[in-house]
Amino acid sequence: MASLVFLLSRWAPLSDENLGLANATELGNGALANAQARDLARQAARQRLGVAEPLFYFSRRAPMPGGDPVPWQWNGRRNQYHRWLGALLRGDWGTSFRDGQPVRVRLGAALACTLPLTGAAAALALGLALALALALARRPWWRRPALVLLAGLQALPLFVLATGLLLALANPDALDWLPTYAQAAEGEGFFALVPYLVLPLACLVLSALPELALQLTAALAQELGAGYATTARAKGLATKQVLQRHALRNALVPLLPLVADLLPALVAGAVVVEIVFSLPGMGHLLADAATTRDYPVLVGGVLLVGAARLFSLVLADAGARWLDARVA
Amino acid sequence: MKLPLLTGLCAGLLVACSGHRANVADNVRIRWDADPETLDPLRQPTKASSEAENLLHLSLLQVDYAKSSYSPGLADSLPRIRLVGDSLTLLTYRLRKAATWDNGQPVLATDVAFTLKLMQAPGLPNESIRTQYNFIRELRADPNDARRFTLVCQGQASDFAHTSGDFFILPEAALDARGTLRRYRLADLIGRSASAAPDTVLAALARRYAAAAPGRRPERLPGCGPYRLVSWEKDHHLRFQRKPQWWADSLKPLPAVLQARPSQIDFLIIPNEASAVLALRRGDVDLYPDVPAREFNRLRQSDKARQTLAFYTTLSHNVVTAGFNTRRPALADRRTRQALALLFDVPSLLAATQQGLGQRTVGIISPNTRCNYADSLPPLAFAPGRAVALLQQAGWRQKAATPTARWTRQGPSGTVQQLALQVRYRAEETAFETIGLQFRAAAAQLGIAVELRPTEASSLKATLQQGDFDLYIKAVQGNPYIFNFTSILHSQGVGEANLTGFGTPASDRLVEAVALAYSPTVRSRLLRKLQVLMREEMPMVPLFFENNRIVANRRLRNLCPSSMRPGYAAAAITWGPQATLQ
Repeated sequence: MASLVFLLSRWAPLSDENLGLANATELGNGALANAQARDLARQAARQRLGVAEPLFYFSRRAPMPGGDPVPWQWNGRRNQYHRWLGALLRGDWGTSFRDGQPVRVRLGAALACTLPLTGAAAALALGLALALALALARRPWWRRPALVLLAGLQALPLFVLATGLLLALANPDALDWLPTYAQAAEGEGFFALVPYLVLPLACLVLSALPELALQLTAALAQELGAGYATTARAKGLATKQVLQRHALRNALVPLLPLVADLLPALVAGAVVVEIVFSLPGMGHLLADAATTRDYPVLVGGVLLVGAARLFSLVLADAGARWLDARVA
Repeated sequence: MKLPLLTGLCAGLLVACSGHRANVADNVRIRWDADPETLDPLRQPTKASSEAENLLHLSLLQVDYAKSSYSPGLADSLPRIRLVGDSLTLLTYRLRKAATWDNGQPVLATDVAFTLKLMQAPGLPNESIRTQYNFIRELRADPNDARRFTLVCQGQASDFAHTSGDFFILPEAALDARGTLRRYRLADLIGRSASAAPDTVLAALARRYAAAAPGRRPERLPGCGPYRLVSWEKDHHLRFQRKPQWWADSLKPLPAVLQARPSQIDFLIIPNEASAVLALRRGDVDLYPDVPAREFNRLRQSDKARQTLAFYTTLSHNVVTAGFNTRRPALADRRTRQALALLFDVPSLLAATQQGLGQRTVGIISPNTRCNYADSLPPLAFAPGRAVALLQQAGWRQKAATPTARWTRQGPSGTVQQLALQVRYRAEETAFETIGLQFRAAAAQLGIAVELRPTEASSLKATLQQGDFDLYIKAVQGNPYIFNFTSILHSQGVGEANLTGFGTPASDRLVEAVALAYSPTVRSRLLRKLQVLMREEMPMVPLFFENNRIVANRRLRNLCPSSMRPGYAAAAITWGPQATLQ
């Protein structure tokens, strides 16, 4: 997958802006550099960024007058893909086209911002979903409005939710309770940032909670109708005990794929939340890399998210086996 | 028991959160919408990087925001200009006596020579700056004065006087303490071929530069500017601190371009506009440049916001233009272009896209530069009726008598030409989209088919350079002191920066004459003539100039709101007394 992304991303030649050359189409940029100087500058930039060589082991020949019997040519190992793959196997993920920083450093810094936030949000959302589903499965009077509210929250786009929270709770014209921009002063530690993370955390929890809670509530309702639950109730167990001791374990199995989906999302970050709350996380980084064609960062991000996805699937399989012995 | 405890905890959290982070001392916090990416003095890929590097480094000439012109920075005066024959310009500078690096060593002509060579050396990230400054072919040092030197420039152009002094001077001792680069001639480095044999000295220099990584660690290539970078969290914030001992502090009187008043300048990266406005309202940000027109007007109309915020607008040098692809047979004649230009309803577009903030223009010269602006030309009218008449004069005929029938005409070789346009502009740019939609609606009334093709920003320029468009809409950035339009209006720039493909012998001669005009009177006359010619030929339709819109804390003083980017002088800002809040 990463190879495909690498090859596709580098298929189109980089523009002057992507090569870091000045935009000559502005007024008053002065005299026009001669064509030779411009070509030399482009060539030098391509060499510096490592995109001067052919892309792959073979490529199409430039059309020749009179035609060519073999339109393809062999480039040998001197190609971008070979170099990239070799470097990747040595643990070198390349350097960013835009700022020259190693991709690993950029991904590491972004992950350091994203993981605590999305990790805490996932844990909170899971815990709340569990508590909410167990309460709803006992069919309290507020079950119906709660389900409607959860369905409504699930239908709300994340951008609307984030902006709504911001305008409601960090707005001098409404409730000016929470800050909008996280910046710790000199000497302040991580805990000084906690107040600034309340809104993004709330936003992520509210966006993840409905799907988990609705799914688990439905699974619990189904399990409560099963024969073993009826038997347990007939033996005198209270509904709460039936839910916690018997039904919950089985109801968790269909929830596992949803939880497995959370892990790559944790790594990829939440683009919208990071943009709205000005957090320098993975989502922000990858969105920027895509718009500015910073391919090394983009490919590194795809690799990381892909690895997280594989890991989450393995974890989900192991979890399913642990919860239900019948799963082979 | 649980409920009161939970309520108490929530209340405590809210109290802890809601405290505004008030500014301290004379620090200034400025909103940026994106990270500067790099602080490499050889590269300034973004507006933010250029602004940040101006705090770290100094040029021979610096932009004076109050006067909207260049003033001496490291140089003690503007250069003395001498023309030699018709192909050389000599510019003599002298560095200020007080100018020193942070270690107390003086800034000398050898540092300027080193910087010029660094800008042309192979293996460095200097590809952009290299082509911009390759007109400087030699630095002749004065044997009697280590601070005095003459730049020998190839060619003659009035803007050399400014551009020759607009690059950051770097310390030779930091990168080349042994002076290994001194043995190379600047002209040889400029003319060095890409296939030249590897040079060990130049390769070693490139390695040292890469190892220093000044783009990320500017302290390894310290400039002689007033600030130093103390922290940088990518995509989040940058903090610059005033040097306690800075050489310009001893200057009396202190030139405006060397003022450095805030002891700390924070740039906070807030990509979302709504979040930035709230941060400004809450006092988390002191200055918000480039406020969207809608937000600017909304804040200005809010009584509560006006109590704490001040509003500044200046006419920028960014002109929104529509450009025709004159290489297309249907658009090759000026009558057709003149007709189509009459389909832009500029006053309505100004109201719709800029909320009325901005100014109509007759040409690419800002109406603010009164001496150069062709005020004899009337603003372009929205006149579909006249457009029909002009189209008919250009040989276009409608297929049927109905007003919405398609237009065709016979081409020179008997081919039938269709009048249908493909309009390109940067995707997600709502102002350009509005302009495109208005043009399409007006064109549809006349039976001209217009297809809007929003194009991704990173591929737009290449698409336009390849000529894959009929009409483009883009904002073009200018400035008030450089009038060299050869790159965008001369026929030599076709396929590169001249996107319209326009260029006649007469227009080329005029563009060249403007670039060469040293006398302001002559230049003014030529610029007016150029605007008249452009109106006549209409390769592009300058629609309006945008405004710089700044909202800042009311207590901020000396912002020097300016027509030039970034629109304010961060280093000159001071705080007024608290009482002015009342």
